[in-house]
Amino acid sequence: MISVKNIFKDFHKTEVLKGVSIDVEKGEKIALIGPSGSGKSTLLRCMNLLEQVKYGEVWLDGRLLTPVDPYLHPDIIAKSKTFAKLCPEPGNAELKAEVISKIKKEDLLKKHEGAEFHSAVRRYLKENRLNANLARRSMGMVFQQFNLFNNMNVLKNMVFAPVKLKIMTKEQAEEKALKLLDRIGLPDKKYAFPSSLSGGQKQRIAIARSLMMNPEVMLFDEPTSALDPEMVGEVLGLIKELADEGMTMVIVTHEMAFARECATRVMFMDGGKILEEGAPDDIFGSPKNERLKEFLSKVL
Amino acid sequence: MNSWQIFWNRVKNPGTINSILTGLQNTAVIAVFGLLLGFVIGCLLATVKIIQSKNPAVKGLQYLADGYIAVFRGTPMMVQLLLLHFAVFIGVKIAPVAEVSLIFGLNSGAYMAEIIRSGINAVDRGQTEAGRALGLGFTAVMLKIVLPQAIKNILPTIGNEFISLLKETSIVSVIGLADLTRSFKAIADSTFEYFIPYVALALIYFVMVMIITVVIRLIERRLNRDKR
Ligand SMILES: Nc1ncnc2c1ncn2[C@@H]1O[C@H](COP(=O)(O)OP(=O)(O)OP(=O)(O)O)[C@@H](O)[C@H]1O
Ligand SMILES: [Mg+2]
Repeated sequence: MISVKNIFKDFHKTEVLKGVSIDVEKGEKIALIGPSGSGKSTLLRCMNLLEQVKYGEVWLDGRLLTPVDPYLHPDIIAKSKTFAKLCPEPGNAELKAEVISKIKKEDLLKKHEGAEFHSAVRRYLKENRLNANLARRSMGMVFQQFNLFNNMNVLKNMVFAPVKLKIMTKEQAEEKALKLLDRIGLPDKKYAFPSSLSGGQKQRIAIARSLMMNPEVMLFDEPTSALDPEMVGEVLGLIKELADEGMTMVIVTHEMAFARECATRVMFMDGGKILEEGAPDDIFGSPKNERLKEFLSKVL
Repeated sequence: MNSWQIFWNRVKNPGTINSILTGLQNTAVIAVFGLLLGFVIGCLLATVKIIQSKNPAVKGLQYLADGYIAVFRGTPMMVQLLLLHFAVFIGVKIAPVAEVSLIFGLNSGAYMAEIIRSGINAVDRGQTEAGRALGLGFTAVMLKIVLPQAIKNILPTIGNEFISLLKETSIVSVIGLADLTRSFKAIADSTFEYFIPYVALALIYFVMVMIITVVIRLIERRLNRDKR
Protein backbone atom coordinates (compact mmCIF):
# COMPACT_ATOMS: atom_id res chain seq x y z
CA MET A 1 0.00 0.00 0.00
CA ILE A 2 2.69 2.49 1.06
CA SER A 3 6.10 1.82 -0.25
CA VAL A 4 9.04 3.83 1.02
CA LYS A 5 12.11 3.28 -1.14
CA ASN A 6 15.52 4.12 0.21
CA ILE A 7 14.76 7.63 1.42
CA PHE A 8 17.33 10.11 2.62
CA LYS A 9 16.48 13.35 4.31
CA ASP A 10 18.62 16.10 5.74
CA PHE A 11 17.98 19.31 7.62
CA HIS A 12 20.65 21.91 6.89
CA LYS A 13 23.25 19.26 6.09
CA THR A 14 22.58 17.00 9.09
CA GLU A 15 21.34 13.68 7.78
CA VAL A 16 18.25 12.53 9.63
CA LEU A 17 17.17 9.64 7.41
CA LYS A 18 19.92 7.58 5.86
CA GLY A 19 18.31 5.16 3.48
CA VAL A 20 15.04 3.92 4.92
CA SER A 21 12.78 1.47 3.11
CA ILE A 22 9.43 0.17 4.28
CA ASP A 23 6.62 -1.66 2.58
CA VAL A 24 3.33 -1.29 4.37
CA GLU A 25 0.85 -3.92 3.26
CA LYS A 26 -2.90 -3.55 3.54
CA GLY A 27 -4.10 -4.37 7.04
CA GLU A 28 -0.66 -4.19 8.62
CA LYS A 29 -0.12 -2.30 11.86
CA ILE A 30 3.45 -1.17 12.01
CA ALA A 31 4.91 0.20 15.21
CA LEU A 32 7.97 2.41 14.83
CA ILE A 33 10.07 2.56 17.94
CA GLY A 34 13.43 4.08 18.71
CA PRO A 35 15.22 6.67 20.79
CA SER A 36 14.45 10.35 20.62
CA GLY A 37 15.95 12.02 17.56
CA SER A 38 16.27 8.79 15.61
CA GLY A 39 14.11 10.15 12.78
CA LYS A 40 10.77 8.44 13.43
CA SER A 41 8.68 11.57 13.07
CA THR A 42 10.67 12.66 10.06
CA LEU A 43 10.01 9.31 8.39
CA LEU A 44 6.28 9.60 9.00
CA ARG A 45 6.28 13.18 7.76
CA CYS A 46 8.14 12.18 4.61
CA MET A 47 5.52 9.50 3.92
CA ASN A 48 2.83 12.09 3.90
CA LEU A 49 4.93 14.70 2.15
CA LEU A 50 5.06 17.20 4.98
CA GLU A 51 8.81 16.95 4.41
CA GLN A 52 10.54 16.64 1.07
CA VAL A 53 12.97 13.79 0.70
CA LYS A 54 16.45 14.32 -0.68
CA TYR A 55 16.77 10.90 -2.30
CA GLY A 56 14.40 7.99 -2.56
CA GLU A 57 10.74 7.68 -3.40
CA VAL A 58 7.45 7.23 -1.64
CA TRP A 59 4.69 5.28 -3.38
CA LEU A 60 1.04 4.88 -2.49
CA ASP A 61 -1.00 2.16 -4.18
CA GLY A 62 1.39 2.03 -7.11
CA ARG A 63 1.51 5.79 -7.62
CA LEU A 64 4.56 7.95 -7.06
CA LEU A 65 4.19 10.76 -4.52
CA THR A 66 7.71 12.20 -4.48
CA PRO A 67 9.87 13.37 -7.37
CA VAL A 68 11.59 10.63 -9.34
CA ASP A 69 14.84 9.45 -7.79
CA PRO A 70 16.92 8.45 -10.81
CA TYR A 71 19.20 6.33 -8.63
CA LEU A 72 16.34 3.86 -8.23
CA HIS A 73 16.00 3.45 -11.98
CA PRO A 74 18.97 1.87 -13.79
CA ASP A 75 17.37 2.46 -17.18
CA ILE A 76 17.11 6.17 -16.45
CA ILE A 77 20.71 6.33 -15.18
CA ALA A 78 21.74 4.70 -18.45
CA LYS A 79 20.45 7.74 -20.31
CA SER A 80 22.66 10.19 -18.42
CA LYS A 81 25.73 11.95 -19.80
CA THR A 82 27.73 10.70 -16.83
CA PHE A 83 26.86 7.14 -17.79
CA ALA A 84 27.81 7.78 -21.41
CA LYS A 85 31.16 9.13 -20.27
CA LEU A 86 31.92 6.22 -17.95
CA CYS A 87 30.58 3.43 -20.11
CA PRO A 88 32.10 3.39 -23.57
CA GLU A 89 30.29 0.22 -24.66
CA PRO A 90 26.72 0.24 -23.32
CA GLY A 91 26.07 -3.05 -25.15
CA ASN A 92 28.23 -4.82 -22.57
CA ALA A 93 25.70 -5.77 -19.92
CA GLU A 94 28.28 -6.56 -17.28
CA LEU A 95 30.12 -3.26 -17.70
CA LYS A 96 26.81 -1.42 -17.80
CA ALA A 97 25.72 -2.88 -14.47
CA GLU A 98 29.09 -2.09 -12.98
CA VAL A 99 29.01 1.55 -14.09
CA ILE A 100 25.44 1.98 -12.89
CA SER A 101 26.28 0.67 -9.46
CA LYS A 102 29.35 2.92 -9.33
CA ILE A 103 27.21 5.94 -10.23
CA LYS A 104 24.74 4.99 -7.52
CA LYS A 105 27.34 4.35 -4.89
CA GLU A 106 29.33 7.50 -5.51
CA ASP A 107 26.35 9.79 -6.16
CA LEU A 108 27.76 10.85 -9.52
CA LEU A 109 24.65 12.23 -11.22
CA LYS A 110 24.78 15.97 -11.73
CA LYS A 111 22.10 18.58 -12.04
CA HIS A 112 22.18 18.53 -15.81
CA GLU A 113 22.51 15.17 -17.45
CA GLY A 114 21.32 15.89 -20.96
CA ALA A 115 17.93 16.14 -22.65
CA GLU A 116 17.40 12.40 -23.01
CA PHE A 117 17.90 11.78 -19.30
CA HIS A 118 15.62 14.59 -18.21
CA SER A 119 12.86 13.69 -20.60
CA ALA A 120 13.02 10.12 -19.32
CA VAL A 121 12.62 11.43 -15.78
CA ARG A 122 9.70 13.61 -16.80
CA ARG A 123 8.02 10.79 -18.68
CA TYR A 124 8.36 8.45 -15.73
CA LEU A 125 6.96 11.09 -13.41
CA LYS A 126 4.04 11.78 -15.70
CA GLU A 127 3.16 8.11 -15.95
CA ASN A 128 3.27 7.44 -12.22
CA ARG A 129 2.71 10.63 -10.30
CA LEU A 130 -0.12 11.15 -7.87
CA ASN A 131 -0.80 14.70 -6.74
CA ALA A 132 0.22 15.28 -3.11
CA ASN A 133 -3.14 16.65 -2.04
CA LEU A 134 -4.98 13.67 -3.49
CA ALA A 135 -2.55 11.26 -1.87
CA ARG A 136 -2.98 12.86 1.51
CA ARG A 137 -6.70 12.28 1.44
CA SER A 138 -6.06 8.56 1.73
CA MET A 139 -3.47 8.95 4.48
CA GLY A 140 -4.85 10.10 7.79
CA MET A 141 -2.25 11.77 10.00
CA VAL A 142 -2.52 12.16 13.76
CA PHE A 143 -0.04 14.41 15.52
CA GLN A 144 1.41 14.45 18.98
CA GLN A 145 0.05 17.96 19.52
CA PHE A 146 -3.47 17.16 18.18
CA ASN A 147 -3.45 20.21 15.91
CA LEU A 148 -7.17 20.85 15.90
CA PHE A 149 -8.16 24.05 14.13
CA ASN A 150 -8.58 26.49 16.99
CA ASN A 151 -10.88 28.82 15.11
CA MET A 152 -13.47 26.12 14.45
CA ASN A 153 -15.71 24.13 16.72
CA VAL A 154 -15.48 20.34 16.83
CA LEU A 155 -18.09 19.72 14.16
CA LYS A 156 -16.51 22.28 11.82
CA ASN A 157 -13.09 20.78 12.44
CA MET A 158 -14.44 17.49 11.20
CA VAL A 159 -16.55 18.56 8.24
CA PHE A 160 -14.33 21.33 6.93
CA ALA A 161 -11.94 19.31 4.75
CA PRO A 162 -14.41 16.83 3.20
CA VAL A 163 -16.86 19.62 2.39
CA LYS A 164 -14.21 22.00 1.11
CA LEU A 165 -12.75 19.27 -1.08
CA LYS A 166 -16.25 18.40 -2.32
CA ILE A 167 -15.97 14.81 -1.21
CA MET A 168 -19.24 15.08 0.68
CA THR A 169 -22.08 17.52 0.92
CA LYS A 170 -22.40 19.46 4.15
CA GLU A 171 -25.30 17.24 5.25
CA GLN A 172 -23.48 13.99 4.52
CA ALA A 173 -20.38 15.25 6.31
CA GLU A 174 -22.33 16.34 9.37
CA GLU A 175 -24.14 13.04 9.54
CA LYS A 176 -20.86 11.16 9.38
CA ALA A 177 -19.25 13.49 11.91
CA LEU A 178 -22.08 12.98 14.39
CA LYS A 179 -21.80 9.22 14.02
CA LEU A 180 -18.09 9.39 14.67
CA LEU A 181 -18.60 11.67 17.67
CA ASP A 182 -21.09 9.17 19.04
CA ARG A 183 -18.63 6.41 18.54
CA ILE A 184 -15.83 8.21 20.41
CA GLY A 185 -18.28 9.11 23.14
CA LEU A 186 -18.23 12.87 22.62
CA PRO A 187 -21.57 13.71 20.97
CA ASP A 188 -22.20 16.59 23.38
CA LYS A 189 -18.95 18.29 22.36
CA LYS A 190 -19.96 19.00 18.79
CA TYR A 191 -20.18 22.76 19.29
CA ALA A 192 -17.26 22.99 21.70
CA PHE A 193 -14.11 24.82 20.69
CA PRO A 194 -10.78 23.02 21.03
CA SER A 195 -9.64 25.36 23.81
CA SER A 196 -12.31 23.92 26.11
CA LEU A 197 -11.38 20.25 25.61
CA SER A 198 -9.02 17.97 27.50
CA GLY A 199 -6.00 16.51 25.74
CA GLY A 200 -7.57 13.09 25.47
CA GLN A 201 -10.75 14.55 23.99
CA LYS A 202 -8.73 16.64 21.52
CA GLN A 203 -6.78 13.63 20.36
CA ARG A 204 -9.86 11.46 19.93
CA ILE A 205 -11.44 14.24 17.90
CA ALA A 206 -8.27 14.62 15.85
CA ILE A 207 -8.46 10.91 15.06
CA ALA A 208 -12.13 11.22 14.17
CA ARG A 209 -11.30 14.19 11.95
CA SER A 210 -8.85 12.02 10.02
CA LEU A 211 -11.44 9.26 9.73
CA MET A 212 -13.82 11.70 8.06
CA MET A 213 -11.75 11.34 4.90
CA ASN A 214 -12.12 7.54 4.88
CA PRO A 215 -8.36 7.06 4.76
CA GLU A 216 -6.84 3.80 3.61
CA VAL A 217 -4.04 4.13 6.10
CA MET A 218 -3.49 6.08 9.29
CA LEU A 219 -0.18 7.54 10.39
CA PHE A 220 0.15 8.25 14.11
CA ASP A 221 3.07 10.27 15.46
CA GLU A 222 3.26 9.63 19.19
CA PRO A 223 -0.47 10.17 19.64
CA THR A 224 -0.30 9.83 23.42
CA SER A 225 2.99 11.52 24.27
CA ALA A 226 1.45 14.88 25.03
CA LEU A 227 -1.31 13.45 27.22
CA ASP A 228 -1.67 13.25 30.96
CA PRO A 229 -1.29 9.61 32.02
CA GLU A 230 -4.96 9.17 32.87
CA MET A 231 -5.93 10.06 29.29
CA VAL A 232 -3.55 7.75 27.49
CA GLY A 233 -5.89 4.79 27.85
CA GLU A 234 -8.87 6.35 26.11
CA VAL A 235 -6.79 7.29 23.06
CA LEU A 236 -4.95 3.97 22.82
CA GLY A 237 -8.31 2.24 23.20
CA LEU A 238 -9.67 4.05 20.16
CA ILE A 239 -6.56 3.26 18.12
CA LYS A 240 -6.82 -0.38 19.15
CA GLU A 241 -10.43 -0.45 17.99
CA LEU A 242 -9.44 0.90 14.60
CA ALA A 243 -6.68 -1.67 14.39
CA ASP A 244 -9.08 -4.47 15.18
CA GLU A 245 -11.39 -3.26 12.44
CA GLY A 246 -8.58 -3.82 9.98
CA MET A 247 -7.31 -0.28 9.48
CA THR A 248 -3.81 -0.19 8.05
CA MET A 249 -1.61 1.90 10.31
CA VAL A 250 1.88 3.10 11.04
CA ILE A 251 2.31 4.28 14.57
CA VAL A 252 5.29 5.93 16.19
CA THR A 253 5.03 5.23 19.87
CA HIS A 254 6.87 5.02 23.14
CA GLU A 255 4.10 2.80 24.54
CA MET A 256 5.92 -0.50 24.27
CA ALA A 257 3.12 -2.57 25.76
CA PHE A 258 0.76 -1.17 23.20
CA ALA A 259 3.21 -1.81 20.35
CA ARG A 260 3.62 -5.38 21.46
CA GLU A 261 -0.07 -6.02 21.77
CA CYS A 262 -1.35 -4.17 18.76
CA ALA A 263 1.33 -4.21 16.08
CA THR A 264 1.75 -6.88 13.45
CA ARG A 265 5.29 -5.71 12.80
CA VAL A 266 7.69 -3.62 14.85
CA MET A 267 10.53 -1.56 13.42
CA PHE A 268 13.37 -0.23 15.47
CA MET A 269 14.98 2.96 14.22
CA ASP A 270 18.17 4.58 15.36
CA GLY A 271 20.43 7.13 13.73
CA GLY A 272 18.19 7.49 10.70
CA LYS A 273 18.11 3.81 9.82
CA ILE A 274 15.92 0.85 10.53
CA LEU A 275 18.21 -1.41 12.49
CA GLU A 276 15.85 -4.28 13.16
CA GLU A 277 12.34 -5.27 12.28
CA GLY A 278 10.13 -8.23 12.92
CA ALA A 279 7.16 -9.62 14.75
CA PRO A 280 6.50 -7.97 18.12
CA ASP A 281 7.35 -11.10 20.06
CA ASP A 282 10.72 -11.38 18.33
CA ILE A 283 11.61 -7.73 18.71
CA PHE A 284 10.67 -7.57 22.36
CA GLY A 285 11.36 -11.20 23.24
CA SER A 286 14.60 -11.90 21.46
CA PRO A 287 16.14 -8.70 20.13
CA LYS A 288 19.36 -9.17 18.15
CA ASN A 289 20.69 -5.70 17.49
CA GLU A 290 22.83 -4.34 20.33
CA ARG A 291 21.30 -0.91 20.24
CA LEU A 292 17.81 -2.34 20.27
CA LYS A 293 18.72 -4.37 23.36
CA GLU A 294 20.10 -1.26 25.01
CA PHE A 295 17.02 0.73 24.05
CA LEU A 296 14.66 -1.91 25.37
CA SER A 297 16.55 -2.22 28.63
CA LYS A 298 15.99 1.50 29.15
CA VAL A 299 12.33 1.68 28.28
CA LEU A 300 10.96 -1.60 29.53
CA MET B 1 -15.19 90.26 20.57
CA ASN B 2 -13.24 87.64 22.46
CA SER B 3 -11.23 84.86 20.88
CA TRP B 4 -14.03 82.38 21.22
CA GLN B 5 -16.54 84.61 19.45
CA ILE B 6 -14.11 85.33 16.66
CA PHE B 7 -13.59 81.62 16.15
CA TRP B 8 -17.25 80.80 16.36
CA ASN B 9 -18.32 83.51 13.91
CA ARG B 10 -15.76 82.20 11.52
CA VAL B 11 -16.87 78.62 11.81
CA LYS B 12 -20.53 79.53 11.35
CA ASN B 13 -19.71 80.91 7.93
CA PRO B 14 -21.06 78.38 5.38
CA GLY B 15 -17.82 78.53 3.40
CA THR B 16 -15.86 77.56 6.48
CA ILE B 17 -18.22 74.77 7.43
CA ASN B 18 -17.89 73.43 3.94
CA SER B 19 -14.12 73.52 4.04
CA ILE B 20 -14.07 71.77 7.44
CA LEU B 21 -16.42 69.06 6.17
CA THR B 22 -14.40 68.59 3.00
CA GLY B 23 -11.25 68.45 5.08
CA LEU B 24 -12.79 65.91 7.41
CA GLN B 25 -13.93 63.84 4.48
CA ASN B 26 -10.50 63.93 2.82
CA THR B 27 -8.78 62.98 6.05
CA ALA B 28 -11.15 60.08 6.57
CA VAL B 29 -10.88 58.91 2.97
CA ILE B 30 -7.08 58.96 3.05
CA ALA B 31 -6.93 57.13 6.36
CA VAL B 32 -9.51 54.48 5.45
CA PHE B 33 -8.31 53.80 1.92
CA GLY B 34 -4.71 54.03 3.04
CA LEU B 35 -5.48 51.35 5.63
CA LEU B 36 -7.35 49.10 3.18
CA LEU B 37 -4.70 49.42 0.51
CA GLY B 38 -2.02 48.93 3.15
CA PHE B 39 -3.77 45.77 4.28
CA VAL B 40 -3.90 44.37 0.75
CA ILE B 41 -0.25 45.26 0.07
CA GLY B 42 0.68 43.93 3.50
CA CYS B 43 -1.06 40.61 2.81
CA LEU B 44 0.73 40.27 -0.52
CA LEU B 45 4.13 41.12 0.95
CA ALA B 46 3.58 38.84 3.94
CA THR B 47 2.55 35.97 1.65
CA VAL B 48 5.64 36.44 -0.47
CA LYS B 49 7.78 36.48 2.65
CA ILE B 50 6.40 33.36 4.27
CA ILE B 51 6.55 31.12 1.20
CA GLN B 52 9.31 28.59 1.70
CA SER B 53 10.81 27.86 -1.66
CA LYS B 54 14.19 27.74 -3.29
CA ASN B 55 12.72 28.80 -6.61
CA PRO B 56 14.85 31.74 -7.84
CA ALA B 57 11.77 33.71 -8.93
CA VAL B 58 10.32 33.40 -5.42
CA LYS B 59 13.67 34.29 -3.88
CA GLY B 60 13.84 37.35 -6.13
CA LEU B 61 10.36 38.42 -5.06
CA GLN B 62 11.36 37.96 -1.44
CA TYR B 63 14.34 40.27 -1.86
CA LEU B 64 12.09 42.83 -3.52
CA ALA B 65 9.61 42.58 -0.66
CA ASP B 66 12.39 42.98 1.91
CA GLY B 67 13.70 46.02 0.04
CA TYR B 68 10.25 47.55 -0.19
CA ILE B 69 9.64 47.12 3.51
CA ALA B 70 13.08 48.43 4.47
CA VAL B 71 12.72 51.56 2.33
CA PHE B 72 9.21 52.48 3.43
CA ARG B 73 9.94 51.85 7.08
CA GLY B 74 13.36 53.45 6.95
CA THR B 75 12.38 56.90 5.67
CA PRO B 76 9.99 59.53 7.06
CA MET B 77 6.43 59.53 5.76
CA MET B 78 6.75 63.23 5.00
CA VAL B 79 9.76 62.63 2.77
CA GLN B 80 7.96 59.80 0.97
CA LEU B 81 4.99 62.07 0.40
CA LEU B 82 7.09 64.88 -1.01
CA LEU B 83 9.17 62.60 -3.17
CA LEU B 84 6.30 60.57 -4.57
CA HIS B 85 4.03 63.57 -5.11
CA PHE B 86 6.49 66.00 -6.59
CA ALA B 87 8.85 63.67 -8.38
CA VAL B 88 7.29 60.28 -9.07
CA PHE B 89 3.58 60.75 -9.63
CA ILE B 90 4.15 64.00 -11.45
CA GLY B 91 2.05 64.10 -14.60
CA VAL B 92 -0.05 61.15 -13.50
CA LYS B 93 -3.68 62.11 -13.97
CA ILE B 94 -5.34 61.08 -10.75
CA ALA B 95 -7.44 62.90 -8.16
CA PRO B 96 -5.18 64.32 -5.40
CA VAL B 97 -7.08 62.49 -2.66
CA ALA B 98 -6.71 59.20 -4.52
CA GLU B 99 -3.03 59.86 -5.06
CA VAL B 100 -2.40 60.64 -1.42
CA SER B 101 -4.43 57.60 -0.33
CA LEU B 102 -2.24 55.53 -2.59
CA ILE B 103 0.93 56.98 -1.07
CA PHE B 104 -0.31 56.31 2.46
CA GLY B 105 -1.33 52.83 1.41
CA LEU B 106 2.13 52.14 0.01
CA ASN B 107 3.67 53.27 3.28
CA SER B 108 1.22 51.45 5.48
CA GLY B 109 1.67 48.27 3.44
CA ALA B 110 5.25 48.00 4.65
CA TYR B 111 4.16 48.14 8.29
CA MET B 112 1.17 45.88 7.68
CA ALA B 113 3.41 43.28 6.05
CA GLU B 114 5.40 42.90 9.23
CA ILE B 115 2.29 42.91 11.41
CA ILE B 116 0.56 40.27 9.30
CA ARG B 117 3.65 38.15 8.97
CA SER B 118 4.19 38.02 12.70
CA GLY B 119 0.49 37.26 13.16
CA ILE B 120 0.72 34.35 10.73
CA ASN B 121 3.88 33.06 12.36
CA ALA B 122 2.18 33.16 15.74
CA VAL B 123 -0.41 30.61 14.58
CA ASP B 124 1.29 27.32 15.31
CA ARG B 125 2.48 25.42 12.26
CA GLY B 126 0.83 22.25 13.45
CA GLN B 127 -2.56 23.52 12.31
CA THR B 128 -1.23 24.23 8.84
CA GLU B 129 0.28 20.77 8.73
CA ALA B 130 -2.93 19.16 9.95
CA GLY B 131 -4.83 21.00 7.22
CA ARG B 132 -2.38 19.97 4.53
CA ALA B 133 -2.38 16.41 5.85
CA LEU B 134 -6.13 16.28 5.23
CA GLY B 135 -5.46 17.11 1.59
CA LEU B 136 -6.43 20.79 1.77
CA GLY B 137 -4.52 23.18 -0.46
CA PHE B 138 -2.24 25.97 0.74
CA THR B 139 -4.80 28.66 -0.07
CA ALA B 140 -7.69 27.02 1.76
CA VAL B 141 -5.53 26.43 4.84
CA MET B 142 -4.27 29.98 4.72
CA LEU B 143 -7.63 31.67 4.18
CA LYS B 144 -9.83 29.57 6.44
CA ILE B 145 -7.53 28.41 9.22
CA VAL B 146 -4.42 30.55 9.56
CA LEU B 147 -5.55 34.03 8.53
CA PRO B 148 -8.70 34.15 10.69
CA GLN B 149 -6.59 33.34 13.75
CA ALA B 150 -3.79 35.64 12.69
CA ILE B 151 -6.15 38.55 12.12
CA LYS B 152 -7.80 38.03 15.45
CA ASN B 153 -4.40 38.16 17.12
CA ILE B 154 -3.20 41.24 15.27
CA LEU B 155 -6.43 43.21 15.40
CA PRO B 156 -5.22 45.49 18.22
CA THR B 157 -2.01 46.16 16.32
CA ILE B 158 -3.94 46.95 13.15
CA GLY B 159 -6.09 49.31 15.21
CA ASN B 160 -2.94 51.10 16.34
CA GLU B 161 -1.72 51.25 12.77
CA PHE B 162 -5.02 52.82 11.73
CA ILE B 163 -4.73 55.39 14.50
CA SER B 164 -1.21 56.41 13.58
CA LEU B 165 -2.21 56.50 9.94
CA LEU B 166 -5.11 58.80 10.73
CA LYS B 167 -2.92 61.16 12.72
CA GLU B 168 -0.17 61.08 10.14
CA THR B 169 -2.55 62.23 7.40
CA SER B 170 -2.25 65.69 8.94
CA ILE B 171 1.00 66.18 7.04
CA VAL B 172 -0.72 66.19 3.66
CA SER B 173 -1.25 69.92 3.81
CA VAL B 174 2.41 70.30 2.79
CA ILE B 175 1.44 69.31 -0.71
CA GLY B 176 -1.60 71.54 -0.59
CA LEU B 177 -4.28 68.94 -0.06
CA ALA B 178 -7.36 70.24 1.73
CA ASP B 179 -7.50 67.96 4.75
CA LEU B 180 -8.91 68.63 8.20
CA THR B 181 -5.71 70.21 9.51
CA ARG B 182 -5.53 72.54 6.57
CA SER B 183 -9.10 73.75 7.04
CA PHE B 184 -8.35 74.75 10.63
CA LYS B 185 -5.02 76.25 9.73
CA ALA B 186 -6.94 78.48 7.29
CA ILE B 187 -9.18 79.63 10.11
CA ALA B 188 -6.23 80.36 12.36
CA ASP B 189 -4.26 82.15 9.67
CA SER B 190 -7.13 84.40 8.64
CA THR B 191 -8.29 85.32 12.15
CA PHE B 192 -4.85 85.51 13.79
CA GLU B 193 -6.36 83.43 16.56
CA TYR B 194 -4.34 80.27 17.07
CA PHE B 195 -5.18 78.71 20.39
CA ILE B 196 -8.85 77.90 19.97
CA PRO B 197 -8.79 76.66 16.37
CA TYR B 198 -5.88 74.33 17.06
CA VAL B 199 -7.37 73.05 20.30
CA ALA B 200 -10.60 72.40 18.41
CA LEU B 201 -8.61 70.60 15.72
CA ALA B 202 -6.81 68.47 18.28
CA LEU B 203 -10.13 67.64 19.87
CA ILE B 204 -11.61 66.42 16.59
CA TYR B 205 -8.64 64.11 15.98
CA PHE B 206 -8.86 62.93 19.57
CA VAL B 207 -12.54 62.08 19.24
CA MET B 208 -11.90 60.18 16.00
CA VAL B 209 -9.13 58.19 17.66
CA MET B 210 -11.41 57.40 20.60
CA ILE B 211 -14.15 56.20 18.27
CA ILE B 212 -11.71 53.90 16.46
CA THR B 213 -10.43 52.57 19.78
CA VAL B 214 -13.93 51.75 20.96
CA VAL B 215 -14.91 50.13 17.67
CA ILE B 216 -11.80 47.95 17.68
CA ARG B 217 -12.49 46.89 21.23
CA LEU B 218 -16.05 45.94 20.32
CA ILE B 219 -14.89 43.88 17.34
CA GLU B 220 -12.30 42.17 19.51
CA ARG B 221 -14.84 41.30 22.14
CA ARG B 222 -17.15 39.93 19.49
CA LEU B 223 -14.44 37.73 18.02
CA ASN B 224 -13.58 36.41 21.46
CA ARG B 225 -17.18 35.64 22.25
CA ASP B 226 -17.39 33.38 19.18
CA LYS B 227 -14.62 31.28 20.57
CA ARG B 228 -16.35 30.23 23.74
N1 LIG C 1 12.43 20.96 10.96
C1 LIG C 1 13.63 20.54 11.41
N2 LIG C 1 14.72 21.30 11.26
C2 LIG C 1 15.92 20.89 11.68
N3 LIG C 1 16.15 19.71 12.29
C3 LIG C 1 15.11 18.90 12.48
C4 LIG C 1 13.79 19.27 12.05
N4 LIG C 1 12.95 18.26 12.36
C5 LIG C 1 13.71 17.32 12.96
N5 LIG C 1 15.00 17.69 13.03
C6 LIG C 1 16.09 16.89 13.60
O1 LIG C 1 16.05 15.62 13.01
C7 LIG C 1 16.35 14.62 13.95
C8 LIG C 1 15.26 13.57 13.96
O2 LIG C 1 14.08 14.15 14.42
P1 LIG C 1 12.72 13.39 14.56
O3 LIG C 1 11.75 14.37 15.08
O4 LIG C 1 12.40 12.70 13.30
O5 LIG C 1 13.07 12.32 15.70
P2 LIG C 1 12.09 11.35 16.47
O6 LIG C 1 12.64 10.00 16.27
O7 LIG C 1 10.70 11.61 16.06
O8 LIG C 1 12.32 11.79 17.97
P3 LIG C 1 11.26 11.91 19.16
O9 LIG C 1 11.09 10.54 19.71
O10 LIG C 1 11.93 12.83 20.12
O11 LIG C 1 10.01 12.47 18.60
C9 LIG C 1 16.53 15.32 15.28
O12 LIG C 1 17.91 15.43 15.52
C10 LIG C 1 15.93 16.66 15.07
O13 LIG C 1 16.63 17.63 15.81
MG1 LIG D 1 9.01 12.47 16.98
